[in-house]
Amino acid sequence: MNTPQEAMPANVAQEVSQVEAMLRQAGQQRAAGNTLAFLARHAPFNKMSEQALQRFAENAHIAFYPAGSQILGPDSGNVRFFYLIESGKVQARQAGEVNVTEYSILSLGAGECFPIGAVTAGRPSTNLYTAVEDTFCYHLPAEDYLALMSTSPEFNLFCTQYIASLLEQSRRQLQAQFAQKASEQQTLNSPLVGIGARNPISVTPETPLRTALETMSQAGIGSLVIAGEDRKPVGIFTRSDLLDRVVLADRSLTSPIAEAMSPAPFKLEEHATAYDAMLAMATHGIRHVLVTDHAGCLTGVVSERDLFALQRVGLRQIRQAIEEAPDVAALQQSATDVRQLAFNMLAQGIGAEQLTQFISALNDALTRRVLQLNLEKHNFEGIDWAWLAFGSEGRDEQTFSTDQDNGIVFAVPAGETADALKQRFLAFALDTNKDLDGCGFPLCKGNIMASNPQWCMTLDDWRAQFSKWIRTPEPVALLNATIFFDFRPLYGKAELADAMRRHLLSQAASTPIFLQAMARNALEVGPPLGKIRDFVTDLEPGHPGKVDLKKYGSRIFVDVARIYALATGVHSTNTIQRLKLSAQKMNIKGEEINAVLDGMNFIQFLRLQHQYLEGEPGRQGDNLIDPDKLNELDRRILKESFRQARKLQSRLKLDYQVNH
Amino acid sequence: MFGIKKFIFGDGLLDSLPADVKQAVSEWQALPAVSLDSTHFLTRYVVIDVATDGPKPDANRLTGIAAMVVYRGEIAPGESLFVDFAASTADANLQARQWAALLRFIGQSPLVSYHQGFGAAFIQQGAKRQLGIAFEPPWLDLAWLLPAMFAELNDKPQPLDEWVQRFGLDLGSGRRQPMENAMILARMMQMILVRAHGKGVGTATALIEESHASSVLRRTL
Repeated sequence: MNTPQEAMPANVAQEVSQVEAMLRQAGQQRAAGNTLAFLARHAPFNKMSEQALQRFAENAHIAFYPAGSQILGPDSGNVRFFYLIESGKVQARQAGEVNVTEYSILSLGAGECFPIGAVTAGRPSTNLYTAVEDTFCYHLPAEDYLALMSTSPEFNLFCTQYIASLLEQSRRQLQAQFAQKASEQQTLNSPLVGIGARNPISVTPETPLRTALETMSQAGIGSLVIAGEDRKPVGIFTRSDLLDRVVLADRSLTSPIAEAMSPAPFKLEEHATAYDAMLAMATHGIRHVLVTDHAGCLTGVVSERDLFALQRVGLRQIRQAIEEAPDVAALQQSATDVRQLAFNMLAQGIGAEQLTQFISALNDALTRRVLQLNLEKHNFEGIDWAWLAFGSEGRDEQTFSTDQDNGIVFAVPAGETADALKQRFLAFALDTNKDLDGCGFPLCKGNIMASNPQWCMTLDDWRAQFSKWIRTPEPVALLNATIFFDFRPLYGKAELADAMRRHLLSQAASTPIFLQAMARNALEVGPPLGKIRDFVTDLEPGHPGKVDLKKYGSRIFVDVARIYALATGVHSTNTIQRLKLSAQKMNIKGEEINAVLDGMNFIQFLRLQHQYLEGEPGRQGDNLIDPDKLNELDRRILKESFRQARKLQSRLKLDYQVNH
Repeated sequence: MFGIKKFIFGDGLLDSLPADVKQAVSEWQALPAVSLDSTHFLTRYVVIDVATDGPKPDANRLTGIAAMVVYRGEIAPGESLFVDFAASTADANLQARQWAALLRFIGQSPLVSYHQGFGAAFIQQGAKRQLGIAFEPPWLDLAWLLPAMFAELNDKPQPLDEWVQRFGLDLGSGRRQPMENAMILARMMQMILVRAHGKGVGTATALIEESHASSVLRRTL
């Protein structure tokens, strides 16, 4: 374990350090004895060799999970440990809609272990594991688990039998579900009768506004149909009408809803298709279409969101076009499609988190295809290498067109020299960087690209580079840390990136001075909350009255998340994941961290909206917004979001003793 | 600053000590203080348990010390230390080196033990006698913290075995060795950290205050 051992000078007297090593060994042996005694009582460990058990006992840590706490879930990223329950009870529950196994809830007790399939494959767990009683668990690092699998025949047999039964179960389940899904598949040709809300709530035109609003609030709906006694619709009222026609119009809540509704709503009969509804929305600039039966009575409501849900097919089509693109020219078309679809999604109010993930997923697919096309001209067979993404791309937080930030890591096989190999990779990277530029990912102005010899390195060189930055946290190193430590493998051998990450986390955790320097750096800029006015708007020279949402907003969350991820050994690079997972480890309450995430998401959403909906179409805007131009509600949420940023910073300040 | 001063003037370090011990102890004294106001998760706690040949610090002797780390909410058996003084009585230099090694292992971390007064008296005596220094680390006493944090189980100090039973920790029976005891205390510490966090006692400083308050309150009432 890497603990922040206070740095001792290397010249410390030999004798004392020898004695210390002996005493540590004595301590380790005694402490491991406890684990060995436990293992001896449980299968398959009781049949394993002494040597194998010794390895387990020396490397497994012991963690405590209070009743009710989550241990592991699909959101926790690739599984890093093999968990063995020492005491207590753990419940395993299937997460997501697709069942992989026959059970949906399973209770595990002392001597049982999890998640064998996921840790063997190095992927996220499909189950959610929660402690139902106070539970102590052994955590065996995945490397040691895999080593045990390959050296202990008893352990290997136990795990492979388990996985085999799991696979068989999952194959049967998937087949059953596939048949069901296929029949439910909907397209734009589907009739409206099967889309959106059925039998929507409606009120009569005489209903007082207050009652109508209460109805909406209780049912948790955003729009309300107004229909006569005969169920024939005469109007529609939506949340956006509330602002313009009720609050701003100073209308009394006792007046009838008929006065505030939009009259003569657009209607389609049930047999019309989703495509008809989409066309109507585009032509008339409306967000809802009412569905009626042949007699004109209300039977349903279809919203823009419902139609978007159908368009998953559209996403799949773009993705397929990318994966099958024969050349870069075809990919350029796909890149345009991705942006167009993203604009549409944003206009429909899709949240920032989903939107950035969606853009990242398609951009990843694009980049992979560019790499594949270039690999036809450059052959690296038999060589382990990976293409790395850095910065916002590395964090899965791309906006529509972000600069390229990429690099290469490779391993040198016997018989090759690092220099010769590097030249080959550089030539490949240069072609790739140019093609990516052609697909709308501009070349990086700071030259953080794989074609730069500085960022095309062997695994050992990357490790050395990381260590150097961590040992000497100068301004340049800290700046590089904010870009390069957010890396993610995009193509090739992911294990190389994993090895880089393990090195990074162990180095960072054992060098508190580095994290403290990062913290000091991150605290240099605070959210623009004023003492008298709501917002400080004179921070950007040349832009009076404006607030930079990136510099004084999202970056604060990103920087703090990075530090906590490094401090708590979180492997994810995505800011939201980092905050969620490190908060879990630090026992921060769920609602506390959710408020922070909401704040970050709102700022990101405002940024995206400002960049792509308010500027010239197709041109990327800046991050400068004028808070006075926001509506009252958005202003309040923005203020609260900045408060969350400030709260997060105060916490960092305390944890790292930074006094400005 | 104080560290440098101690380094130069020696702070009572025994003259008879071997040079390597003097150097190691001076370096330990010069270590920068560790923040006790960080989240528990980022604080390295060292759990200590001792074995002695009798109850009186001035008449009896320490025969063993076990130390184990709770860091990031976890216990890592690999990060443990055990000193067997019984086996090294004859060699004064070896004993001094063992004491210096113990200090290096502890660093500036806060210590955790059960009935602090007992263990601390022996350890402080030992450090004074063997090295000539005053050893006064921040110290948490589980005997007082447990009733404060788990009042629903027991709101008065109890023998350790009572708590072991209450928590249902199944860790063998009979007389326990110091390392086995340290292992039990480390687990209780893990439970306390989670509980303390929930109660808003989020840092080592706050926990030490809680431990003192509990001891004063329960002794005077």
